[in-house]
Amino acid sequence: MTVFKAYLKVLNKNKALVILYTVLLIFFASFNMKTNSVGTFVAEKPNVLIVNQDENRGITKSLIQYITQNSTIVRVKENDSSINDALFYRDVSYIIYLPHHFRNDFLSGKNPKIEVKSTGDYNASLASMMLERYLKVATTYREVEKDEASLVKMIEETLDHQVDIEMTSKLDSNQLMKARDFYNFSNYSLLAGCVFVICFIVASFKDENIRKRTMVSSLDMKKYNQQLLFANGLFALTLWFLYVLLSFILVGKSILDFHGLLFLFNSFVFMVVALTFGLLIGNLVQNKEAIGGIVNVVALGSSFLCGAFVPMEWLPDFVLKIAHIFPSYYYISNNHFISSLEYFELSWSFVMNIGMLLLFGVLFILITNIISKRK
Amino acid sequence: MFGHNFKCALKTLFKNKVLLFWTFAFPIILGTLFHMAFQDIESNETLDVIDIAIVENESWKENKILSHVFDELEGDLFSITYGSEEEAIALLNDHKISGYLILSDTLKVVVKENGIDQTVLKFVVEEITETEEIMKQIAFRNPMKEESFYQNLYSMIGQIQNENKVELVDISNQNLSYTMIEFYTLIAMTCLYGGMLGLYVVNQNLANQSHNGKRIAVSPTPKWKVILSSALAGYVVQLVGIALLFLYTTFVLHVDYGNDILKVIFLTLMGCFAGLSMGIMIATLFKVSENTKTGIIIAFTMLCCFLSGMMGITMKYLIDKNIPILNLINPASMITDGFYALYYYDTFSRYYFDLMSLFLFSLLMILLSIRSLRRQKYDSI
Repeated sequence: MTVFKAYLKVLNKNKALVILYTVLLIFFASFNMKTNSVGTFVAEKPNVLIVNQDENRGITKSLIQYITQNSTIVRVKENDSSINDALFYRDVSYIIYLPHHFRNDFLSGKNPKIEVKSTGDYNASLASMMLERYLKVATTYREVEKDEASLVKMIEETLDHQVDIEMTSKLDSNQLMKARDFYNFSNYSLLAGCVFVICFIVASFKDENIRKRTMVSSLDMKKYNQQLLFANGLFALTLWFLYVLLSFILVGKSILDFHGLLFLFNSFVFMVVALTFGLLIGNLVQNKEAIGGIVNVVALGSSFLCGAFVPMEWLPDFVLKIAHIFPSYYYISNNHFISSLEYFELSWSFVMNIGMLLLFGVLFILITNIISKRK
Repeated sequence: MFGHNFKCALKTLFKNKVLLFWTFAFPIILGTLFHMAFQDIESNETLDVIDIAIVENESWKENKILSHVFDELEGDLFSITYGSEEEAIALLNDHKISGYLILSDTLKVVVKENGIDQTVLKFVVEEITETEEIMKQIAFRNPMKEESFYQNLYSMIGQIQNENKVELVDISNQNLSYTMIEFYTLIAMTCLYGGMLGLYVVNQNLANQSHNGKRIAVSPTPKWKVILSSALAGYVVQLVGIALLFLYTTFVLHVDYGNDILKVIFLTLMGCFAGLSMGIMIATLFKVSENTKTGIIIAFTMLCCFLSGMMGITMKYLIDKNIPILNLINPASMITDGFYALYYYDTFSRYYFDLMSLFLFSLLMILLSIRSLRRQKYDSI
């Protein structure tokens, strides 16, 4: 067990890195922790900010009330710079400036201009539709009803009208999305964690002096390699187990079914690929200083291009085409597939992706063998 | 002596491949990845044409008003497939449509899950069906109904809604692309990574760090000359790196830095200076090995960049909103915020504030370095 012990010693020196990646993972995974109800339809609510320069009564009050009911009102400090920052960083999608005398002008038949600021995204479009809808109904009724109280009542009655909506899926898509994002992000953590640590340790063992000393010792080289592989495998397995455990803690009960099992299986296969890849890079690179650069480029590169950070459907087509050359692509594709499953079903594409991952693993092992034999 | 040491330091720096990778190549690679991953995000967030289906049963065919309204919306807001209910269900299950409409006594919307498209669909259907409600309300107030009353009323409502509008004026700034922040944090990261250059060259001059340093320590050259010339060499290399990054991000990745190029350059010079002085401070203040010092710079830089929004753009906003003091002392945030101010705001007060903060940060770093370097002498080492 000398080799194994030495392995643990080197690992202990690098614990900071493993902890760093794990903390990052927890942070990202816990970032989007909104819950949603299942089974009944819940309308999306855009984030809106209303800057009211008019008195809060009558028609103005009713308008604000309507917007408030159908959107999430965001509170920020009432100065221009805070409001503009909120818009830029999408804390608010839509800002409505109700002008002075809006109520009087509107009631007297003038059409006061309302200034708005919009991020131009779909939340802003929804908020804008909302505001326009209110104003449309209000202008129509203004023609027939002059009394403000009755006018407000008419508007509110009309806007209260709800359409009958039925939701068919009973799937907790929100939780599954969260699980998917967690496992997608673990593409980076697993890859970076495995490759960095394995590379670093393999490189330590490959150090000229140490290698020579090991070679002249009575230790059987076959045993030496076995122990090294075992230790590396154990490390990768521990890392994987840690992330799986975390996923169950963070995402919770909604993946305690076949979804969880599939996520588990998929990430296990990916972990094996990451392990073989780590061994390959470790055998290729001797310079310890270069490892950090290589790991970052490989792990960040494949994570960005394959959709670990940005959802796959938002990536441009040419990027997705390039992504096919990375194992991460097949891993992440499978995560997407799992999160959309309503009942257990193994599709051909899922099996194909697993096959591709294994193929990558075999390929990495073959190349590693060729390289180490040459040396 | 100053020139000689400057030249030597410059040469050593340009020969150090690992340093050049982190300060020259890595930011460019990262920038390329950002660009590839983020270029479609914002266009994906705008409201697209929504795919829906409509069940074409008898009631639908009879209802001329509804079919007319949806014909008008086809192409602009909705892309509509007509068919039987079974076909609609199949499309919904295959995620080909966001929802479908079925008219029996009332109009019903069927969707698979919650979402923005589904909400818009619900909203539009409500808006369409509420015209009926409006007609009822108005009719209620007009007991004298002639025969053509309803027809007139319908066109009247349309007329009112089209002509008598409360106008919405969009006054938002055109520069609203928030992915730019990613590139600004990238510049900030490169500026702070420059600290590694400062660290490396200063370490070469420290007696407790390298053999070179020991030799320099016994030479009769004043320490300030050696340190200053080395730091200057570090600064020059850093500027070459950042200039390459700027050229690349501006001309290849089309990053928008605003229109005031001089202010951009000035901010970058200041940012690089802050990074360099931070590197020197870490080199002189911490009595640990070079690797550990590099580790400290990387960890500190990553933490600063994280807080200024590199790993999630909203992070900077969250900190600004809730713990503003944290970003007031964070050099990466000062740099990012400076670029943001130039890009988004028309006024420059925020920019000057960031510039001033960077200057104060650098000054503090330098004072700390001077304090720890002064009168540093060894009887034996």
